[in-house]
Amino acid sequence: MLIKVENVVHERGLGLSLLASIIATLCLTLSISAFSQDSLPQLDLDLPLRLDFSGSWEKDFRRSDNWEDELSRTLRIRQESTARQQSSPGSTRRRSTPPISIGNVNLPRSRGRGANIVDLARLAEYISRHSIIDIVQTRDEISIERSGEAALICGVEYKLQQTFANEHGVEVCGWEGQQLVFQIMLPDDLIIMHRFTVSSNQLVLNLLTSIYSKGGEPFNLIQAFNKYEAPRDEFNCIQTLSRGQVCSQAGTDLSTVLDDF
Amino acid sequence: MNYLGNTSSIRVLTALVVLLLTACSLPLPEPVLVPVERPLDLVGDVNLIQAIQVPSENSLLEIGVQVFGTAQKEAGEYELGDWVFDEIIQKETQFLPHLLKNTLVDSGQWGAIRVVPESDPSLDLIIEGQIIQSDGETLELQIRAIDSSGREWLNQIYADQSIPEEYPESTRFTLDNTFDAINFVDPFQDIYNRIANDLVAVRASLGEQILADLNLVTDMLYASDLSPDTFSGSIIENDDGLLIVDTLPSLDDPMMARVADMKYRHHLFIDTVDEYYQTLYEDIQPAYVLWRRYSIDQITEIEMSQQEASRSDYGGSSGFLSLSQRYDRFKWSKIFEREFNDLAAGFNNELAPAFLELNSQVHGLTGTMEQQYREWRGILRRLFELENGEITTDSTE
Repeated sequence: MLIKVENVVHERGLGLSLLASIIATLCLTLSISAFSQDSLPQLDLDLPLRLDFSGSWEKDFRRSDNWEDELSRTLRIRQESTARQQSSPGSTRRRSTPPISIGNVNLPRSRGRGANIVDLARLAEYISRHSIIDIVQTRDEISIERSGEAALICGVEYKLQQTFANEHGVEVCGWEGQQLVFQIMLPDDLIIMHRFTVSSNQLVLNLLTSIYSKGGEPFNLIQAFNKYEAPRDEFNCIQTLSRGQVCSQAGTDLSTVLDDF
Repeated sequence: MNYLGNTSSIRVLTALVVLLLTACSLPLPEPVLVPVERPLDLVGDVNLIQAIQVPSENSLLEIGVQVFGTAQKEAGEYELGDWVFDEIIQKETQFLPHLLKNTLVDSGQWGAIRVVPESDPSLDLIIEGQIIQSDGETLELQIRAIDSSGREWLNQIYADQSIPEEYPESTRFTLDNTFDAINFVDPFQDIYNRIANDLVAVRASLGEQILADLNLVTDMLYASDLSPDTFSGSIIENDDGLLIVDTLPSLDDPMMARVADMKYRHHLFIDTVDEYYQTLYEDIQPAYVLWRRYSIDQITEIEMSQQEASRSDYGGSSGFLSLSQRYDRFKWSKIFEREFNDLAAGFNNELAPAFLELNSQVHGLTGTMEQQYREWRGILRRLFELENGEITTDSTE
């Protein structure tokens, strides 16, 4: 009898534990689905995944091009190319570029000709003086801040994006594979192209800046940047219209700071 | 070479970009869209017609100025950073109606005027608005006014443009130079004056009997909203498609007394809602006026920049100085635009607490002001059913 009772209790216990486990499973399933609906962001599979460019980057001068050396090298190549063309008159030339050298002031400056390579090189150096780059990247957008320069901002979509256009120029950006490309078209057929590449270990950033004038050969300047740990900001700041930047110590809720005004 | 400064130059630039990008094997960009200049039919200088004598009782219609709407862009029309300005327009939909309401109040031509989150069946006349364009220089609104019988009073576009002089120095307020809200006249006040005057003109054309009937239609429409089963048969549509009262309960009908009681409570509620919109506007007015001031500054700056670009002649020089000047002009124009975007974002940041406050005002109700309003109307309906013993299973849940 005792055994029977025990069996009944045991069977009831089994039934209860089975019921409990079903309820527990149901609850878990429901809570997981609720959690997945409420807490986790939805992954938009239409947006491509891009390499991570984010972080603070400082110029590695040793591995970056020196603009004067690069200019000399470009000039030497052009002179050699010109010499070859002169020695074989039948060969075709991509365009009629006069032999030039540093300081050549006799370059034609008619409307039909582009800027000379020296001026392009100087411009490349002029727009590449920043030694620090800060990049913020989200799932949708990448923003590249360079001191003293306008930020370069691009989405991560496949399509080419026009990011800025006015009477002073047009800027577009897009992705070529995992390279991020910005092209700026300025008046008089002056074109600046920035091509960003990040190493697979995300420790080295390369920036190729090419300057074209009126469809001629570009001047290229490569700069290398190393990732570094920038010190964390001591303050959280938020931009307001009438009070400028409103800051609080890191960790404080800024909405309470705004409320206090 | 007179470079740029006109649309053809932009097209040349775009074509060259396209050519270069083709060479670089990137997909082609969409062509630069040059906004088409729309001729604006400006309202001009308009004086508000104020009532010299108190209008007749039937003329004192109760007006609801509904929170404005705005045209939504298609997904593909958005460019980077557009959301910031979209957010500003969304905020303007909540407080521009308040300016119209104040103008109507100042005219002294009407009964109670309130800003309401949605169309309200207890009011005689509802004014709806769509913001077509709004910046520091131009305001363009589509305004539609419709009375409780369904008669359309207005349906037209109103536009006005401001000049920098209409923004007094106190709009650049500092600690020493505070914003003078009392003496500030909105640069687009002429639009609101014109709308108010047009409404008075329509009312004058209707005649006393129509206005008296309108008051009855509103009463029965509200009763029907509270208890459709009881009152919906009392209103019918005439041949012109307008609602008219078919059967009227007797004056001592206890149901009508309860309806009047509910309407009174409802109006207390929408008076409170209107006060919240007023507080919202008062809270944000200095920042909003400053924002508009920045906006007109930016528009002026762009116009000057375009003139400067049209005067620039880069064609004769390809030296470093010319190249760097071209680059710098581009760079600074881009930085300037970015700063303007930052200001816009700052404006949104600054207004966020005021909007949070608006949406958390009505105790016991939750959600946005629109949701709270709907919830309140539901509560009144259930209350009415309870008082009349019409409790249904649904209403008691």
